[in-house]
Amino acid sequence: MLYWFRNATRDLSKKSVGAKISKILIVEDNHQNALLMKRVLGARHHQIIHAEDGESGLQAAVEEIPDLILIDLGLPDIDGQTLVAFIKRVPELKNIPIVAVTAWPEETAREMAQAYGCDGFISKPINTRTFSDQIGEFITAD
Amino acid sequence: MMPIDDHERNIDLIPASAFSFEELTDAYNHTRVDYMVPMPMNVNKLREYVDTYDVDMDASAVAVDGYEVLGLGMLGIRQGRAWITRLGVIRRNRRHGTGQAIAAHLVEQALQKGSDYIILEVIKDNTPAHNLFLKFGFKETRDLVVLRRPPGPPKIEAPAAEIIPMRYSGALDLLDRRVTTPSWLDEKESLINAGNLEAFHLTLADGSQGWMVYQNTVFQLGRIVIQTDKGDPINVGRALVHHLHSKHRAQDTKTENLPLTDPHLPVFRQMGYLEMFQRIEMVRSL
Repeated sequence: MLYWFRNATRDLSKKSVGAKISKILIVEDNHQNALLMKRVLGARHHQIIHAEDGESGLQAAVEEIPDLILIDLGLPDIDGQTLVAFIKRVPELKNIPIVAVTAWPEETAREMAQAYGCDGFISKPINTRTFSDQIGEFITAD
Repeated sequence: MMPIDDHERNIDLIPASAFSFEELTDAYNHTRVDYMVPMPMNVNKLREYVDTYDVDMDASAVAVDGYEVLGLGMLGIRQGRAWITRLGVIRRNRRHGTGQAIAAHLVEQALQKGSDYIILEVIKDNTPAHNLFLKFGFKETRDLVVLRRPPGPPKIEAPAAEIIPMRYSGALDLLDRRVTTPSWLDEKESLINAGNLEAFHLTLADGSQGWMVYQNTVFQLGRIVIQTDKGDPINVGRALVHHLHSKHRAQDTKTENLPLTDPHLPVFRQMGYLEMFQRIEMVRSL
Protein backbone atom coordinates (compact mmCIF):
# COMPACT_ATOMS: atom_id res chain seq x y z
CA MET A 1 0.00 0.00 0.00
CA LEU A 2 1.34 3.46 -0.91
CA TYR A 3 0.37 6.71 0.71
CA TRP A 4 1.71 10.16 0.04
CA PHE A 5 0.82 13.27 1.95
CA ARG A 6 -0.66 16.51 0.70
CA ASN A 7 1.93 18.56 2.54
CA ALA A 8 4.69 16.71 0.73
CA THR A 9 7.72 18.74 -0.22
CA ARG A 10 7.76 17.58 -3.82
CA ASP A 11 5.86 19.34 -6.62
CA LEU A 12 3.29 16.81 -7.77
CA SER A 13 2.69 18.66 -11.01
CA LYS A 14 6.21 17.68 -12.05
CA LYS A 15 6.03 14.00 -11.27
CA SER A 16 7.16 11.64 -13.98
CA VAL A 17 6.40 8.09 -13.06
CA GLY A 18 9.53 6.00 -13.30
CA ALA A 19 10.82 8.06 -16.22
CA LYS A 20 13.81 9.63 -14.53
CA ILE A 21 16.94 7.84 -13.43
CA SER A 22 17.52 8.88 -9.88
CA LYS A 23 19.91 8.35 -7.02
CA ILE A 24 17.98 6.58 -4.28
CA LEU A 25 19.24 5.96 -0.77
CA ILE A 26 17.73 2.92 0.95
CA VAL A 27 18.17 2.81 4.73
CA GLU A 28 17.14 -0.71 5.67
CA ASP A 29 18.70 -3.15 8.14
CA ASN A 30 17.12 -6.31 6.74
CA HIS A 31 19.40 -7.46 3.96
CA GLN A 32 16.73 -9.48 2.17
CA ASN A 33 14.37 -6.50 2.07
CA ALA A 34 17.18 -4.21 0.95
CA LEU A 35 18.25 -6.63 -1.77
CA LEU A 36 14.70 -6.92 -3.05
CA MET A 37 14.28 -3.15 -3.25
CA LYS A 38 17.68 -2.78 -4.92
CA ARG A 39 16.78 -5.36 -7.55
CA VAL A 40 13.37 -3.90 -8.29
CA LEU A 41 14.62 -0.31 -8.50
CA GLY A 42 17.87 -1.30 -10.17
CA ALA A 43 15.83 -2.82 -12.99
CA ARG A 44 14.59 0.73 -13.70
CA HIS A 45 18.23 1.83 -13.82
CA HIS A 46 18.05 3.94 -10.71
CA GLN A 47 21.33 4.35 -8.85
CA ILE A 48 20.91 2.66 -5.48
CA ILE A 49 22.85 3.35 -2.32
CA HIS A 50 22.23 1.10 0.65
CA ALA A 51 22.83 1.88 4.31
CA GLU A 52 21.97 -0.65 6.98
CA ASP A 53 21.46 1.61 9.97
CA GLY A 54 20.61 5.17 10.88
CA GLU A 55 24.13 6.42 11.41
CA SER A 56 25.46 5.16 8.09
CA GLY A 57 22.22 6.30 6.45
CA LEU A 58 22.78 9.84 7.65
CA GLN A 59 26.39 9.76 6.52
CA ALA A 60 25.38 8.46 3.09
CA ALA A 61 22.70 11.12 2.77
CA VAL A 62 25.20 13.89 3.53
CA GLU A 63 27.84 12.48 1.18
CA GLU A 64 25.60 11.48 -1.71
CA ILE A 65 22.73 14.01 -1.57
CA PRO A 66 20.27 11.51 -3.10
CA ASP A 67 17.10 12.39 -5.01
CA LEU A 68 14.98 10.24 -2.72
CA ILE A 69 15.46 8.48 0.62
CA LEU A 70 13.61 5.31 1.59
CA ILE A 71 13.77 4.71 5.34
CA ASP A 72 12.74 1.67 7.30
CA LEU A 73 11.21 3.04 10.52
CA GLY A 74 12.61 0.15 12.55
CA LEU A 75 16.39 0.54 12.46
CA PRO A 76 18.85 -1.15 14.81
CA ASP A 77 20.68 1.93 16.13
CA ILE A 78 18.43 4.99 16.00
CA ASP A 79 14.76 4.76 15.08
CA GLY A 80 13.74 5.67 11.56
CA GLN A 81 11.62 8.50 12.93
CA THR A 82 14.62 9.99 14.70
CA LEU A 83 16.64 9.73 11.51
CA VAL A 84 13.92 11.49 9.52
CA ALA A 85 13.75 14.24 12.14
CA PHE A 86 17.51 14.69 11.98
CA ILE A 87 17.63 14.77 8.17
CA LYS A 88 14.95 17.45 8.16
CA ARG A 89 17.26 19.61 10.29
CA VAL A 90 20.12 19.50 7.78
CA PRO A 91 19.73 22.38 5.29
CA GLU A 92 21.28 20.42 2.40
CA LEU A 93 18.96 17.47 2.99
CA LYS A 94 15.72 18.90 4.26
CA ASN A 95 14.02 19.14 0.84
CA ILE A 96 14.87 15.60 -0.26
CA PRO A 97 11.67 13.53 -0.35
CA ILE A 98 11.61 10.79 2.27
CA VAL A 99 9.39 7.74 2.08
CA ALA A 100 8.96 5.49 5.12
CA VAL A 101 8.96 1.80 4.23
CA THR A 102 7.57 0.03 7.23
CA ALA A 103 5.95 -3.04 8.71
CA TRP A 104 4.12 -0.96 11.29
CA PRO A 105 0.34 -1.26 11.27
CA GLU A 106 -1.03 1.05 8.59
CA GLU A 107 -2.65 3.62 10.86
CA THR A 108 0.45 3.94 13.05
CA ALA A 109 2.69 4.14 9.99
CA ARG A 110 0.56 6.90 8.48
CA GLU A 111 0.57 8.96 11.69
CA MET A 112 4.28 8.54 12.31
CA ALA A 113 5.36 9.19 8.73
CA GLN A 114 3.21 12.30 8.41
CA ALA A 115 4.12 13.72 11.83
CA TYR A 116 7.84 13.32 11.21
CA GLY A 117 7.73 14.99 7.81
CA CYS A 118 7.92 12.03 5.45
CA ASP A 119 6.43 12.55 2.03
CA GLY A 120 4.63 9.25 2.22
CA PHE A 121 4.95 5.67 3.30
CA ILE A 122 4.88 2.23 1.78
CA SER A 123 3.80 -0.79 3.80
CA LYS A 124 5.97 -3.90 3.96
CA PRO A 125 6.18 -6.38 2.46
CA ILE A 126 6.64 -4.41 -0.73
CA ASN A 127 4.75 -5.45 -3.83
CA THR A 128 7.47 -6.07 -6.41
CA ARG A 129 5.04 -5.45 -9.28
CA THR A 130 4.08 -1.97 -8.15
CA PHE A 131 7.04 -0.81 -6.07
CA SER A 132 8.92 0.96 -8.89
CA ASP A 133 5.86 2.92 -9.91
CA GLN A 134 5.14 3.78 -6.29
CA ILE A 135 8.66 5.13 -5.95
CA GLY A 136 8.28 6.97 -9.24
CA GLU A 137 5.50 8.97 -7.59
CA PHE A 138 8.12 10.58 -5.38
CA ILE A 139 10.71 11.35 -7.99
CA THR A 140 10.30 14.69 -9.70
CA ALA A 141 11.47 15.45 -13.20
CA ASP A 142 13.99 18.24 -13.72
CA MET B 1 12.13 -34.21 2.60
CA MET B 2 10.16 -33.61 5.77
CA PRO B 3 9.16 -29.97 6.26
CA ILE B 4 10.96 -28.38 9.18
CA ASP B 5 7.66 -27.57 10.90
CA ASP B 6 7.09 -31.28 11.47
CA HIS B 7 10.45 -31.93 13.09
CA GLU B 8 10.55 -32.96 16.71
CA ARG B 9 12.71 -30.36 18.37
CA ASN B 10 15.40 -31.27 20.87
CA ILE B 11 15.52 -28.05 22.84
CA ASP B 12 18.60 -27.27 24.89
CA LEU B 13 18.85 -24.09 26.92
CA ILE B 14 22.29 -22.50 27.16
CA PRO B 15 23.11 -19.43 29.27
CA ALA B 16 23.25 -16.29 27.15
CA SER B 17 26.65 -15.56 28.70
CA ALA B 18 28.06 -18.42 26.60
CA PHE B 19 27.31 -16.45 23.42
CA SER B 20 28.95 -13.34 22.03
CA PHE B 21 26.89 -10.16 21.77
CA GLU B 22 27.19 -10.49 17.99
CA GLU B 23 25.57 -13.93 18.13
CA LEU B 24 22.87 -12.77 20.54
CA THR B 25 22.08 -9.72 18.44
CA ASP B 26 21.78 -11.85 15.34
CA ALA B 27 19.54 -14.37 17.12
CA TYR B 28 17.38 -11.62 18.61
CA ASN B 29 16.93 -9.86 15.27
CA HIS B 30 15.95 -13.15 13.64
CA THR B 31 13.22 -13.65 16.25
CA ARG B 32 11.81 -10.20 15.41
CA VAL B 33 11.88 -10.24 11.62
CA ASP B 34 8.10 -10.58 11.40
CA TYR B 35 7.24 -9.05 14.75
CA MET B 36 4.16 -6.83 15.02
CA VAL B 37 6.29 -3.98 16.38
CA PRO B 38 9.63 -3.86 14.53
CA MET B 39 12.44 -3.19 17.00
CA PRO B 40 15.76 -4.50 15.69
CA MET B 41 18.96 -3.90 17.63
CA ASN B 42 22.63 -3.68 16.82
CA VAL B 43 25.39 -4.98 19.08
CA ASN B 44 25.90 -1.67 20.87
CA LYS B 45 22.21 -1.26 21.48
CA LEU B 46 21.89 -4.76 22.92
CA ARG B 47 24.88 -4.17 25.21
CA GLU B 48 23.31 -0.92 26.38
CA TYR B 49 20.01 -2.72 26.94
CA VAL B 50 21.68 -5.40 29.06
CA ASP B 51 23.45 -2.77 31.18
CA THR B 52 20.52 -0.40 31.53
CA TYR B 53 18.03 -3.03 32.57
CA ASP B 54 20.34 -5.20 34.71
CA VAL B 55 19.93 -8.24 32.50
CA ASP B 56 21.63 -11.26 34.06
CA MET B 57 23.31 -13.04 31.17
CA ASP B 58 23.89 -16.22 33.16
CA ALA B 59 20.18 -16.44 33.96
CA SER B 60 19.15 -15.51 30.42
CA ALA B 61 19.02 -18.32 27.88
CA VAL B 62 19.38 -19.20 24.24
CA ALA B 63 17.38 -22.20 23.03
CA VAL B 64 19.27 -24.38 20.58
CA ASP B 65 18.80 -27.65 18.74
CA GLY B 66 22.33 -28.79 18.03
CA TYR B 67 24.01 -25.86 16.29
CA GLU B 68 20.73 -24.21 15.35
CA VAL B 69 19.47 -21.28 17.43
CA LEU B 70 15.72 -21.56 18.01
CA GLY B 71 15.07 -18.51 20.16
CA LEU B 72 16.14 -16.63 23.25
CA GLY B 73 14.87 -14.95 26.38
CA MET B 74 16.46 -12.57 28.87
CA LEU B 75 16.01 -12.04 32.57
CA GLY B 76 16.60 -8.79 34.44
CA ILE B 77 17.37 -9.22 38.12
CA ARG B 78 17.04 -6.56 40.81
CA GLN B 79 16.58 -6.71 44.57
CA GLY B 80 13.71 -9.11 45.18
CA ARG B 81 12.34 -9.04 41.66
CA ALA B 82 12.93 -10.26 38.14
CA TRP B 83 11.87 -9.14 34.67
CA ILE B 84 11.40 -11.29 31.58
CA THR B 85 12.32 -9.53 28.37
CA ARG B 86 13.32 -10.03 24.71
CA LEU B 87 11.72 -13.46 24.64
CA GLY B 88 11.34 -14.55 21.06
CA VAL B 89 11.41 -17.60 18.85
CA ILE B 90 12.63 -17.64 15.25
CA ARG B 91 9.62 -17.95 12.98
CA ARG B 92 10.31 -21.38 11.50
CA ASN B 93 10.77 -22.83 15.00
CA ARG B 94 7.50 -21.63 16.49
CA ARG B 95 4.78 -23.90 17.80
CA HIS B 96 7.25 -26.53 19.02
CA GLY B 97 7.30 -25.53 22.69
CA THR B 98 10.45 -23.40 22.42
CA GLY B 99 8.85 -20.26 23.91
CA GLN B 100 7.37 -22.33 26.70
CA ALA B 101 10.73 -23.95 27.49
CA ILE B 102 12.48 -20.58 27.61
CA ALA B 103 9.75 -19.05 29.79
CA ALA B 104 9.88 -21.99 32.22
CA HIS B 105 13.66 -21.67 32.43
CA LEU B 106 13.47 -17.94 33.16
CA VAL B 107 10.86 -18.46 35.89
CA GLU B 108 13.09 -21.10 37.47
CA GLN B 109 16.11 -18.80 37.27
CA ALA B 110 14.14 -16.00 38.93
CA LEU B 111 13.25 -18.35 41.76
CA GLN B 112 16.86 -19.43 42.18
CA LYS B 113 17.95 -15.79 42.32
CA GLY B 114 15.60 -15.22 45.25
CA SER B 115 13.07 -13.05 43.47
CA ASP B 116 9.69 -12.55 45.15
CA TYR B 117 7.96 -11.87 41.88
CA ILE B 118 8.49 -11.66 38.12
CA ILE B 119 7.24 -8.84 35.97
CA LEU B 120 7.02 -8.58 32.19
CA GLU B 121 5.25 -6.71 29.41
CA VAL B 122 3.60 -8.12 26.33
CA ILE B 123 2.60 -6.01 23.38
CA LYS B 124 -1.15 -5.63 23.20
CA ASP B 125 -2.67 -7.96 20.60
CA ASN B 126 0.32 -10.30 20.72
CA THR B 127 -2.10 -13.07 21.64
CA PRO B 128 0.33 -16.03 21.52
CA ALA B 129 2.73 -14.37 23.98
CA HIS B 130 -0.12 -13.14 26.16
CA ASN B 131 -1.62 -16.63 26.34
CA LEU B 132 1.77 -18.18 27.06
CA PHE B 133 2.25 -16.01 30.11
CA LEU B 134 -1.32 -16.49 31.32
CA LYS B 135 -0.59 -20.22 31.16
CA PHE B 136 2.45 -19.63 33.40
CA GLY B 137 0.28 -17.95 36.02
CA PHE B 138 1.04 -14.31 35.19
CA LYS B 139 -1.75 -11.82 35.96
CA GLU B 140 -2.40 -8.59 34.11
CA THR B 141 -1.74 -5.51 36.20
CA ARG B 142 -2.16 -2.52 33.87
CA ASP B 143 -1.93 -1.20 30.34
CA LEU B 144 1.06 0.93 29.38
CA VAL B 145 1.49 3.20 26.39
CA VAL B 146 4.52 4.06 24.27
CA LEU B 147 4.49 7.63 22.95
CA ARG B 148 6.48 9.62 20.42
CA ARG B 149 6.62 13.25 19.47
CA PRO B 150 8.45 14.79 16.51
CA PRO B 151 10.76 17.74 17.18
CA GLY B 152 9.38 21.25 17.40
CA PRO B 153 8.19 23.84 19.88
CA PRO B 154 4.90 23.37 21.74
CA LYS B 155 1.90 24.22 19.59
CA ILE B 156 -0.44 25.07 22.46
CA GLU B 157 -0.09 27.55 25.28
CA ALA B 158 0.50 26.67 28.90
CA PRO B 159 0.05 28.60 32.15
CA ALA B 160 2.99 30.75 33.25
CA ALA B 161 5.16 29.02 35.80
CA GLU B 162 8.21 29.46 37.95
CA ILE B 163 10.74 26.86 36.84
CA ILE B 164 13.58 25.54 38.96
CA PRO B 165 16.09 23.40 37.03
CA MET B 166 17.46 20.54 39.10
CA ARG B 167 20.91 18.98 39.12
CA TYR B 168 21.46 15.23 38.75
CA SER B 169 21.24 14.69 42.50
CA GLY B 170 18.02 16.69 42.54
CA ALA B 171 16.62 14.44 39.82
CA LEU B 172 17.36 11.39 41.95
CA ASP B 173 15.65 13.03 44.95
CA LEU B 174 12.58 13.67 42.82
CA LEU B 175 12.48 10.03 41.72
CA ASP B 176 12.44 9.02 45.38
CA ARG B 177 9.26 11.07 45.76
CA ARG B 178 7.47 9.31 42.93
CA VAL B 179 3.98 8.21 43.93
CA THR B 180 3.16 6.08 40.88
CA THR B 181 4.51 2.57 40.41
CA PRO B 182 7.20 2.62 37.74
CA SER B 183 7.57 -0.10 35.14
CA TRP B 184 10.93 -1.87 34.90
CA LEU B 185 11.96 0.46 32.08
CA ASP B 186 11.55 3.61 34.17
CA GLU B 187 12.47 2.35 37.61
CA LYS B 188 15.05 4.53 39.30
CA GLU B 189 17.72 1.89 38.65
CA SER B 190 17.01 1.96 34.90
CA LEU B 191 17.15 5.73 34.79
CA ILE B 192 20.43 5.88 36.71
CA ASN B 193 21.93 3.23 34.43
CA ALA B 194 20.68 5.05 31.33
CA GLY B 195 22.27 8.34 32.43
CA ASN B 196 21.96 11.85 30.95
CA LEU B 197 19.17 12.71 33.37
CA GLU B 198 17.82 16.22 33.70
CA ALA B 199 14.96 17.51 35.81
CA PHE B 200 13.02 20.59 36.76
CA HIS B 201 10.43 21.58 39.32
CA LEU B 202 7.63 23.97 38.54
CA THR B 203 5.17 26.14 40.47
CA LEU B 204 2.12 27.78 38.90
CA ALA B 205 0.67 31.13 39.97
CA ASP B 206 -2.11 29.36 41.91
CA GLY B 207 0.41 27.38 43.94
CA SER B 208 0.08 24.15 41.94
CA GLN B 209 3.34 22.21 41.74
CA GLY B 210 4.91 19.39 39.82
CA TRP B 211 8.15 18.06 38.40
CA MET B 212 9.64 16.16 35.54
CA VAL B 213 12.72 13.95 35.19
CA TYR B 214 13.85 12.95 31.71
CA GLN B 215 16.77 11.72 29.68
CA ASN B 216 18.41 14.17 27.29
CA THR B 217 20.60 12.70 24.54
CA VAL B 218 21.87 14.19 21.28
CA PHE B 219 19.12 12.71 19.13
CA GLN B 220 16.31 12.17 21.53
CA LEU B 221 14.50 13.07 24.73
CA GLY B 222 12.99 10.18 26.61
CA ARG B 223 12.33 8.25 29.80
CA ILE B 224 9.96 10.96 31.02
CA VAL B 225 8.77 10.74 34.61
CA ILE B 226 6.09 13.32 35.34
CA GLN B 227 4.34 14.08 38.61
CA THR B 228 1.88 16.63 39.92
CA ASP B 229 2.46 17.19 43.64
CA LYS B 230 -0.29 19.76 44.09
CA GLY B 231 -3.13 20.98 41.87
CA ASP B 232 -4.78 19.80 38.66
CA PRO B 233 -2.57 17.29 36.75
CA ILE B 234 -3.81 18.67 33.43
CA ASN B 235 -2.74 22.24 34.21
CA VAL B 236 0.50 21.24 35.87
CA GLY B 237 1.22 18.59 33.22
CA ARG B 238 0.63 21.09 30.42
CA ALA B 239 3.12 23.51 31.97
CA LEU B 240 5.66 20.72 32.48
CA VAL B 241 5.45 19.30 28.97
CA HIS B 242 5.34 22.81 27.49
CA HIS B 243 8.54 23.74 29.28
CA LEU B 244 10.25 20.53 28.17
CA HIS B 245 9.60 21.21 24.49
CA SER B 246 10.26 24.94 24.74
CA LYS B 247 13.68 24.10 26.13
CA HIS B 248 14.44 21.23 23.73
CA ARG B 249 12.86 22.15 20.40
CA ALA B 250 15.16 20.21 18.10
CA GLN B 251 14.87 16.74 19.57
CA ASP B 252 12.63 13.86 18.82
CA THR B 253 10.94 12.43 21.94
CA LYS B 254 10.12 8.85 22.84
CA THR B 255 8.74 7.83 26.19
CA GLU B 256 7.75 4.32 27.12
CA ASN B 257 5.33 2.72 29.54
CA LEU B 258 3.23 5.61 30.71
CA PRO B 259 0.25 3.95 32.43
CA LEU B 260 -2.92 4.31 30.39
CA THR B 261 -4.61 5.64 33.54
CA ASP B 262 -1.98 8.33 34.15
CA PRO B 263 -3.79 11.65 34.59
CA HIS B 264 -1.15 13.40 32.46
CA LEU B 265 -1.79 11.28 29.37
CA PRO B 266 -4.29 13.76 27.84
CA VAL B 267 -1.63 16.47 28.12
CA PHE B 268 0.85 14.43 26.10
CA ARG B 269 -1.78 13.94 23.42
CA GLN B 270 -2.57 17.70 23.38
CA MET B 271 1.15 18.40 23.01
CA GLY B 272 1.45 16.35 19.85
CA TYR B 273 2.50 12.97 21.20
CA LEU B 274 1.43 10.00 19.11
CA GLU B 275 0.64 6.60 20.49
CA MET B 276 2.90 3.97 18.92
CA PHE B 277 1.54 0.91 20.69
CA GLN B 278 0.38 -0.39 24.04
CA ARG B 279 1.81 -3.02 26.33
CA ILE B 280 0.15 -5.13 28.98
CA GLU B 281 2.13 -5.42 32.18
CA MET B 282 1.87 -8.82 33.88
CA VAL B 283 3.15 -10.07 37.22
CA ARG B 284 3.58 -13.47 38.83
CA SER B 285 4.40 -14.03 42.49
CA LEU B 286 7.00 -16.70 43.25
